[in-house]
Amino acid sequence: MLLIIKRLWQVNWAEQWQYRANLLMYLLYWLVSPIIYLAVWTSIANVKGDVNGFTANDFTTYYMVLLIADQFTSNIVIHTFGYKIQDGSLSGELIRPIHPLLTNGLVNNIAFKALTIMGLLPIWIILFFLYKPDFSGISWTGIALAIPAMILAFFTGYLLSAAITSLAFWTTRVYSIHEFYFALILLFSGQFVPLTLMPQIVQDIAQYLPFQLLIYYPVQLILGKLSSAQIVQGYVMSFIWLGIAWLFFTWVWRNGVKRYSAVGA
Amino acid sequence: MSPTINVQQLSKTYQVPEREGGFGAAVRSFFKRKYKDVKAVQQVDFKIEQGEIVGFLGPNGAGKTTTLKMLSGLLHPTGGKAEVLGFTPWELKPEYLRVMTLVMGQRNRLSWDIPAADSFLLNQAIYRIPDDEYKQTYKELDELLELEPLMKKPVRNLSLGERMKCEIAAGLLHRPKVLFLDEPTIGLDITGQARIREFLREYNKRTGATILLTSHYMADVTALCERIIIIHHGNLKYDGGINDLSRRIAPFKLIGVRLAEPNSHDLSKYGEPVQNEEDAEKQYIQVKAEDVTRVTSKLLADLPVHDITIADPPIEDVIEQAFNQ
Repeated sequence: MLLIIKRLWQVNWAEQWQYRANLLMYLLYWLVSPIIYLAVWTSIANVKGDVNGFTANDFTTYYMVLLIADQFTSNIVIHTFGYKIQDGSLSGELIRPIHPLLTNGLVNNIAFKALTIMGLLPIWIILFFLYKPDFSGISWTGIALAIPAMILAFFTGYLLSAAITSLAFWTTRVYSIHEFYFALILLFSGQFVPLTLMPQIVQDIAQYLPFQLLIYYPVQLILGKLSSAQIVQGYVMSFIWLGIAWLFFTWVWRNGVKRYSAVGA
Repeated sequence: MSPTINVQQLSKTYQVPEREGGFGAAVRSFFKRKYKDVKAVQQVDFKIEQGEIVGFLGPNGAGKTTTLKMLSGLLHPTGGKAEVLGFTPWELKPEYLRVMTLVMGQRNRLSWDIPAADSFLLNQAIYRIPDDEYKQTYKELDELLELEPLMKKPVRNLSLGERMKCEIAAGLLHRPKVLFLDEPTIGLDITGQARIREFLREYNKRTGATILLTSHYMADVTALCERIIIIHHGNLKYDGGINDLSRRIAPFKLIGVRLAEPNSHDLSKYGEPVQNEEDAEKQYIQVKAEDVTRVTSKLLADLPVHDITIADPPIEDVIEQAFNQ
């Protein structure tokens, strides 16, 4: 299995490099919204002094950490895999004795991440000098707690996206479904605005949903803003959602493959 | 011993969404979709023993590829059973996938953006091929298909024929016991086709592998297969020796005539006119084999003939004709 992963990595890494220009475009596109949120919220906080207790520096540190956390936990499986089900190019992968989404798809996403993180780094450094955030609240304990949380969140997010991608076995409109899913992420993950600034009802719902595990929870862990009880609850939710995502994905996949029509080839 | 491939009452019906053109129909289909059942394969039975090479024939849309896709596990049937080497293919058990191969036109064991060599190494890992066995197999494939000059180029930069060679090689690296080949020589030049045939025959002889192949090239089938299976409209029409079928279909030849003024005469009194897109300036007629000499001399005597050819009719046409009679 190790050799398979190593060779998959070599192939996918080489493939991603082939598309480096494409990837840079994606990165810039992806960076636009958090950077806008960062700019808007810090300006408002600068004028008003704070927004519900959030100072300009709180916003800056929140979004600067978010940029990194989101890179770790997000995935692009809908873009790299959805079309394969629709146009039949999944066939070649389906008859290989390894699971297409749990091996190749996964490694492909990780290779993509590795490259975008390399691209993000210089941009992050520029932003750092522009905004000069005060990171004194960050502790090594927070970072150490956040890393496993982000790994769990990545796998949960990947499985959920992979399950939604696999709905392409049923419908050709899978991209619309994914857009809706993405809107939920935007709303409940804390990307749009730190969740504590959301209405209480949204916060109450969000803490039971998987989306805040992708961004809000690891960011707050790193920034050291959570109580011990909140940390424990976050980890419990992480494992519960990983389990749910796994069941959801395996169910969709098992039933979807039966409907595969291997068109084209 | 049980047969390597055992197919019983295998059926596949596709549900194809259907609607008329136009705005109204588009709106209606949004609320209530209509589906049409397309019976691609209907209750097909056959058995293939270990080591056989069987040609799987039929006109376009007959259900050949659908059957191959079911036997390789890509498609779930809507009815019937199939066992290959004791496995039910569509369960997609890794143990099964490791001992069979499906080579289908262009798709798709190779990553488009990177050299084939990298995809080969990936396959070595996926199929758990030991280093020495891999080297040996690669050497054999390279000798037959001249792969080495192609290995370092990104697959997207290869020609159709070159890519096909790499696809076939990639599909055989793990030395499968059962081979499903859908048009394995498509896109290859004459030498390339002959090489693939030679290779398949050799591979079959050396390893005792079972091969089921479809091809539009009659030469592939006559060179390799002693037995053929014909399906048409999803139904099994013929299962038996190729010689018996030849006797049944040989009576026809295709005569192509180019006249001084192209297409100036009606040839229907000499034989049955046939559409053939190969050469627009030629007219084609089909005649019984025993009449070829008589009809040819009559054509030459009656008409200002510039060029005349006599050939076997394309296999697809012959099969279509044989079973539409």
